[in-house]
Amino acid sequence: MSTNRHPIEREELMAYLDGELPADQATEALSHLELCAECQTLVADFRGVSQELMAWEVESPDVGIPSEINAALGERLQKREAAKVGSPRLINRVMTSRWVWAGALAIVCVVVGLTLLLTSRNRNEGRSTTYPSMASIEQYLMPDRNAEIALARSAAPQSISSDAEIMVLGWRGYETAIEGKNGFVCMVERSWTSPFNSAQFWNPKVRVPICLNPAGARSILPLTIKRTEMVLAGLSKAQMIDSIKAGFDNKELPAPEPGAMCYMMSRAGYLNDAVGHFVPHLMFYFPLTDKTSWGADLPDSPVTLNPQFQGGPEPITEFVIPVAKWSDGTAAPVM
Amino acid sequence: MTSDEALMLEFQGGSRAAFEELFARYHKPLYGFFGRRLNNPERAEDLVQETFLAVIRAASRYEPRASVRTYLYGIALKLLAAERRRFLTSSTSEQSAPEPKTGGTPECMLWVRQALEKLDGPEREILMLREYEQLSYSDIAELLRIPVNTVRSRLFRSRLALKSYLESEAKSNPALRPNAGQPHPGRRGMQ
Repeated sequence: MSTNRHPIEREELMAYLDGELPADQATEALSHLELCAECQTLVADFRGVSQELMAWEVESPDVGIPSEINAALGERLQKREAAKVGSPRLINRVMTSRWVWAGALAIVCVVVGLTLLLTSRNRNEGRSTTYPSMASIEQYLMPDRNAEIALARSAAPQSISSDAEIMVLGWRGYETAIEGKNGFVCMVERSWTSPFNSAQFWNPKVRVPICLNPAGARSILPLTIKRTEMVLAGLSKAQMIDSIKAGFDNKELPAPEPGAMCYMMSRAGYLNDAVGHFVPHLMFYFPLTDKTSWGADLPDSPVTLNPQFQGGPEPITEFVIPVAKWSDGTAAPVM
Repeated sequence: MTSDEALMLEFQGGSRAAFEELFARYHKPLYGFFGRRLNNPERAEDLVQETFLAVIRAASRYEPRASVRTYLYGIALKLLAAERRRFLTSSTSEQSAPEPKTGGTPECMLWVRQALEKLDGPEREILMLREYEQLSYSDIAELLRIPVNTVRSRLFRSRLALKSYLESEAKSNPALRPNAGQPHPGRRGMQ
């Protein structure tokens, strides 16, 4: 395969499938993949290998915590309690020495320095797996506006997204980059559309392409806009939750309209650290609804209840249905 | 859902419930890790226990520098290496050990296992860590102490090689081949 004909290497194509390419490169890969039959074959080969490997399942025995582990656990927790009880006398004795204070201060300085160093290194290498607070806004923005537009469009088949309004995230929130004609709105959501208690809530790597249908654009999009405005305004999670509750109470935020749904069929997205680009799927929004009415989460049912709004301030129920193809028409792994 | 790292820190702080949650999350994946690499379900279960015992013993030294997932598989890899050394020096052969209990048909398992066994050891390990343990390239690089680019290139080679083995096997022994493209039945949450 000549690199003159292919703007991306075959290894990069594999990395793209594994969700290991940055969003901008992933968009480039996706654009090329749509046009290159040779690369589509390679992608199908890789997917085939992965699917064959998954045939090898290993069933683990259903066991509780074994007695050896329980015993070791009990011993450790007891020792820890004993250490807590015994420590004050020791502390009182040693704290009388000013040399101890000086030593402690030195240790604190070293620990703080190392922590800052490690935090910085982890950020640089993109390997941090916990996101306790918001990163700098730049990390959530996509510097290439065209790449964000292409990524947003990749959420739905071209027949839908080509006439959709496209919104991109700027310093002050989402703004319309391209006017639409068919009532659909496509955009790239960021991590703060996750549940408030999600460990991914501040993950700056998250890029979620989504195309909302007209009913979804009227009734679900305002929620994304509001969350984004509050995040950029620096509100705490508690303040955001209160504001959303108030928004629904005073009708500033609408209930999901009948028929509200969205397409999430991009393979260039990055939904979170656990699932990467996930699988292509559709989502349907309702006012709070019993999941059994859709047979969601029942054995062999293709419908699942998305936990996005579960336990959150939004009175919304959201069902997910995987589909067989990505937005470019290529086959996707079946759930 | 509480993150693994938060649970680990809670366990460090003395929470039994946090450990129990970690055990519930990782018992099955760790059993799969050992089960696919050893032909002995009992030893697989033993080594899962040893992994958790190591976590308990080293809890005070854990730092949230790497993910708990990577941390656990790091311990598991060390235990696996020790187990393999032990096998090499013992009279017990892996071949005589009982077959692991599998959820798929025996043909499925045999098909994949035979193909995997044809790969070079390091490439097989990288492929398995990626496909079965779902570790990122950087996590694998950290665990195996090799550059990320090496992980990527070896993974690429191993996937192509595996495809080739599977195709040649399909030609030479079509009766053995299970339904191609059978999807993984697992379901992953979106958010």
